[in-house]
Amino acid sequence: MISAEFRFETPKTVAEALAVLEAHAGECKVLAGGMTLLPMMTLNLLQPSVLVSLNHIPELSGIEESEDVVRLGAMLRHEAVHDSSVVRVRAPLVSLAAGSIGDVQVRNRGTIGGSLAHAEPAADYPCATATLEARFRLDSQSQHRWLSAGEFFVDVMTTALAPDELLTQVEIPVSSPGAGCAHMRLRRVEGAFPIVVASSIVEPGYRRARLGLGGVGARPIVLDVTDELRDGLAPAALAKIGDRAHAAADGALDDLNASSTYRREMARVYSQRAVRAAVSNMHTNSGEVPK
Amino acid sequence: MKQQVGPKVNGVARQILVDTRAKLAEVLRDELRLTGTHIGCGTGSCGACTVLLDGKTVKSCCVLAADVDGCEIMTVESLAEPGELHPIQLSFAEHHGLQCGFCTPGMILSAFQLLSDNPTPDETEIRHAISGNLCRCTGYQFIITAIQAAAKKLNNEAVE
Repeated sequence: MISAEFRFETPKTVAEALAVLEAHAGECKVLAGGMTLLPMMTLNLLQPSVLVSLNHIPELSGIEESEDVVRLGAMLRHEAVHDSSVVRVRAPLVSLAAGSIGDVQVRNRGTIGGSLAHAEPAADYPCATATLEARFRLDSQSQHRWLSAGEFFVDVMTTALAPDELLTQVEIPVSSPGAGCAHMRLRRVEGAFPIVVASSIVEPGYRRARLGLGGVGARPIVLDVTDELRDGLAPAALAKIGDRAHAAADGALDDLNASSTYRREMARVYSQRAVRAAVSNMHTNSGEVPK
Repeated sequence: MKQQVGPKVNGVARQILVDTRAKLAEVLRDELRLTGTHIGCGTGSCGACTVLLDGKTVKSCCVLAADVDGCEIMTVESLAEPGELHPIQLSFAEHHGLQCGFCTPGMILSAFQLLSDNPTPDETEIRHAISGNLCRCTGYQFIITAIQAAAKKLNNEAVE
């Protein structure tokens, strides 16, 4: 039982949810999958006076696609994202990230929007979506706006979401056919929260290569590593990429799980592993994630 | 604050008045007396409270009871008729897949979902499937053996 009292709202549409947020801006928390929020409320780390559940709003679980982008509804569960054939083929890195979160039960309930809005620095989705230059749709009663990852993620567990705004969609640019991608995570045991995550996407012929890092700063770090890979995946190229990751991770925090020095070293190791793995599955097929 | 919810629990439509602060696991145990669902950590780590929500395993300590209106819930009690055992339960008994029994209902439901989705899992797939369920007694090996045996049993039944 959660000890603090709160009012519980279960809107059936986005419009209804936005009306609740507008009426109670600042005293509301939005409940998506609840995989982090409910434990936090159970432990009395958070005591919102109004809790708005998005679990009864079917319009937030859609997958839309156009020639250039895939748009994922904020309430898609991790398992639905991981399993979606559209995501597997057109944004395979997102499928990989979704499939690596937590455990089966967490993936069945947790949502992409909930994870992104929580903005835990070492979480999988922030790193993967930032790497892919995703955009985030924020709706309020009066307007909607699209933000880049750089604009959306502000600090540790802090986003640009205003109290009356809801994250409703994530727009992922479609990956080029044949692009290789990888998502690597350092964690102590199966199912444990990662300490460092690294995502990478490399386009065929090394046309363009990007690397994302999480858990080594307050926000996801994205590096364009096209230059380093200009002559392919040589040991010197990997060394340079590792050095850049290490340098970029200079804001890595110390905590219970790892020191800042260790995190920076792991940024080096995991960035190299992610790039190497991305290159190894480049060209092979459409880039589809094996089931 | 109280709220009325109407989930279907083990196939039976229910109307329950719940405290908005109550977890699904608590309501299953305290209101519906379905005490097969165990509560371990209460914060989503141990998996003892695993139930199926709309056909998917979830940790019912991380779902609010007030949020399951219109949902279908399946608990370990529905696997077999009273006095009988489901083949997965029988395999756990036969292969020492439990000692204290605290994690067992959650383990069995995770195994149930795995074998429903994938009737012939290999050992790695079994290990992944139960990674959200902690057991402090068995060291997991007997649980894996039990799930492998259950898979065989269920597949033989399907053939017959």
